[in-house]
Amino acid sequence: MELATQLITSGILMGFVFALIALGLSLIFGVMNIVNFAHGEFLMVGMYVALLVSSYLPLDPLASLPFAAVIGFLLGIISYHFLIHHILRGPMIAQLFGTFGLMLFIRYLVMFIFGPDVRSLPHGILVGKTLSVGWVMLDASKVMAAGFCLLLFALVYWIINRTKLGRALRATSLDAEAARYMGIDTKKMNALAWGIGGATVGIAGALLAHFYYITPTIGMVFVLIAFATVALGGFGSISGAFLAGVIIGLIQAVGGQYLSELKLTFVYAAYFLTVVFRPRGLFGW
Amino acid sequence: MKPTWLLEVKNLVKEFGGVVATADISLELEAGSIVGLIGPNGAGKTTLFNCIAGYYKPTTGKVFFNGKDITDWPAHRVAKMGIARTFQTMKIMPNLTVEENVMIGAFSRTGNRQIARGEAQEILELVGLVREAKVYPTELPIATQKRIELARALATKPKLLMLDEIASGLNPLETKETIQALQRIKEERNLTLFLTEHVMEFIMTISERVIVMAAGRKIAEGTPEEVAREDKVIEAYLGKRYAKGK
Amino acid sequence: MVQVLKDIFSFGDRPLSERIGFVIFIAIVLAFPWFVELAYARAVMIRFLLFALFGLGWNLIGGYGGQVDLGQAKNVGFGAFTTALMTVWWKTPFWLTVPVGMVVATAESFVVAYPMFRLRGHYFAIATLCVALVWKELFTFWDWTGGARGVEIPLKAGADFAYMQFPSPIYYHYFIFFLFITQFLYMNWFRKSKLGYELQAVRDNEEAAASLGINVTVTKVKAYCITAALGAVGGSFMVAYYLYIDPHMVMHIDLSILIAMTVMVGGAGSIWGPIIGAAILIPLDMYLGAWLGGMGLYGIDFMIYAFIIMIIAAREPKGIWGIVERIRKRG
Repeated sequence: MELATQLITSGILMGFVFALIALGLSLIFGVMNIVNFAHGEFLMVGMYVALLVSSYLPLDPLASLPFAAVIGFLLGIISYHFLIHHILRGPMIAQLFGTFGLMLFIRYLVMFIFGPDVRSLPHGILVGKTLSVGWVMLDASKVMAAGFCLLLFALVYWIINRTKLGRALRATSLDAEAARYMGIDTKKMNALAWGIGGATVGIAGALLAHFYYITPTIGMVFVLIAFATVALGGFGSISGAFLAGVIIGLIQAVGGQYLSELKLTFVYAAYFLTVVFRPRGLFGW
Repeated sequence: MKPTWLLEVKNLVKEFGGVVATADISLELEAGSIVGLIGPNGAGKTTLFNCIAGYYKPTTGKVFFNGKDITDWPAHRVAKMGIARTFQTMKIMPNLTVEENVMIGAFSRTGNRQIARGEAQEILELVGLVREAKVYPTELPIATQKRIELARALATKPKLLMLDEIASGLNPLETKETIQALQRIKEERNLTLFLTEHVMEFIMTISERVIVMAAGRKIAEGTPEEVAREDKVIEAYLGKRYAKGK
Repeated sequence: MVQVLKDIFSFGDRPLSERIGFVIFIAIVLAFPWFVELAYARAVMIRFLLFALFGLGWNLIGGYGGQVDLGQAKNVGFGAFTTALMTVWWKTPFWLTVPVGMVVATAESFVVAYPMFRLRGHYFAIATLCVALVWKELFTFWDWTGGARGVEIPLKAGADFAYMQFPSPIYYHYFIFFLFITQFLYMNWFRKSKLGYELQAVRDNEEAAASLGINVTVTKVKAYCITAALGAVGGSFMVAYYLYIDPHMVMHIDLSILIAMTVMVGGAGSIWGPIIGAAILIPLDMYLGAWLGGMGLYGIDFMIYAFIIMIIAAREPKGIWGIVERIRKRG
């Protein structure tokens, strides 16, 4: 019983993190129908931002969140402006390997600057501390990460669904051409989607850095989890990404308990089954 | 003994999630005839084509080809049975030369490249594309690309050729040439033609019989002259006022 | 029969300049070990031929088929592990293990192909990625395949043609060249075969292909299975050459991505693409990368490679060969 609660709680917490990671991917796909293979690298950059801030500034890594958001946002916008915008008109194959090129470029750029070694945060208020809630023992940084992710998810959800800007984004996702006729600058919308995607996943990275190891190649692991989440939730659906994130969090928590070396395999298998038997996912189009 | 129809469609209904595209269509095609299908936009003509050719599964109803029930057959099986079709939107293979495009059609009847090439050469001569054989279709004008699609369809040695708006975008001279070419091809290859078209001079000239559809239903059938005079047909195209006026 | 031989060896449909270029290329490769004695250079050449080999197989489904498969490493792994395990368990001579590896890869591919080909475009690509990942995790987890430690091949003394183990890289050079030229000639035949044409038709326009009697799914499945078999051969070679394999080496997602990217950079769908792509990647990685790595600077080689990929994606999706053909058309 205690184990079950432990697993479920920890699964849901990680689920919130996955949900935030998936949010950006889903948003980008919804707005311009492109799968961003570089998404995991943006996350990795967020991790390194946390590392830099806590190593060189007398600040707790938590303070790196705004930095990670800004850098993630800029990275997204720059990627859009210099690469994505030019491959949008091309064949799907070109889009695929365009974002692959971006992924490799960012990964090896970071490797060049920081070296390939695995690192972790040097210090932090919440690093390495545990919390007990009832009989459940939780990693303090995971709780904090989950909390922030939930908050941010809600914030972005509010922006998308309750603001004029969000409406413009949604209009562009539904029909870019029609949106253009209505005076919406789709190029700006596309860039914005990339910016929000980069910012949210950058923050997620900075949060993850509190309890996950930091290395230039970590991006791939998370982008695959993000794909699984987005597929399960439905490409393009924000609420779907949330629900799916929690489900994937639970899968990897439970799977990890029984066969810890294969916990990612369960996620990948879940992805494969979803995509083959229910390509629309839970809520997608 | 009653002759078997080449193509028989019985009470075909095709629904897309509640929207009825074709409702209770029945028609028969005699082997060796040229039949036109006309109707205002949205009448369900292309849906009908797609149901016959195997791109859509009819919701209810049946399609028979030479007496065989082909209702739920997938497109490639229908093609192998002897029904070829062209498309309204260009579906040329851009990375293959004109000759290779036509060879793909020929490959449906043979596994040998030499034979396929020979067939393709023959067809290219038939439609007048011999000079363009080694060219890539994207470098050619749309009217020529339509001929490539026609050639490709012919290479499958069909018994029934369904042409979807093959005359759209042609000037009057090209339209006349196309009519003559099609009549010649039909005779030489012993084909039955089933065409759908908006260009009236084209379809009314070439067709022996015309079927008229509107809002998913068949509203008239007969020779071009008969059909042109029917009130229902005029009403479908121009509205009630003009029908009454006639 | 004569026609088949002609199809395999004839490049009559390619312009003379290409044919001459190819002959020169083959001559250089064949003469290479006699002129170049530096061990490292020989290793680079062998690795180049290996990646050209991988590329040839991938080009079938990815280039001529237009289906971006990001999981080819699983097939490399199937070939590699089949050869390694058969050698270690049953002392099977190398050349008997190769067809078995090919069968294993083909069988698995046949099973996963049908569900996967319900998908198109990036959904398909991601599904292929997933399948390959699951297999790699399984092979890492399983003890009977050696787990993460992999399989080590016992060393034989001298030149052993039964197990294809040799004391000098010269043998390996001709060994990999043989595999490369075999698959190259096969691809030359394939692109002119009925399946080759039908595959390209499916790539260019599925609906039109169906209207011409082509069973689109069956065509894709056939192509996918053939690519799997071809990939397995490269895996078997790796066993004989490296005398050691593990899942990280032969089934890693990075290998899949590299194989796919290399062909796309070189020119997917053209017979020269895989060779060009490998000719850029391998020297870049093994000369520039190794040199800079020695100085503690990691990643520049792949940054350059990634940059090339991005430019090609934005400007000429048909790859470097696409650029060559575009220039040729203008001039």
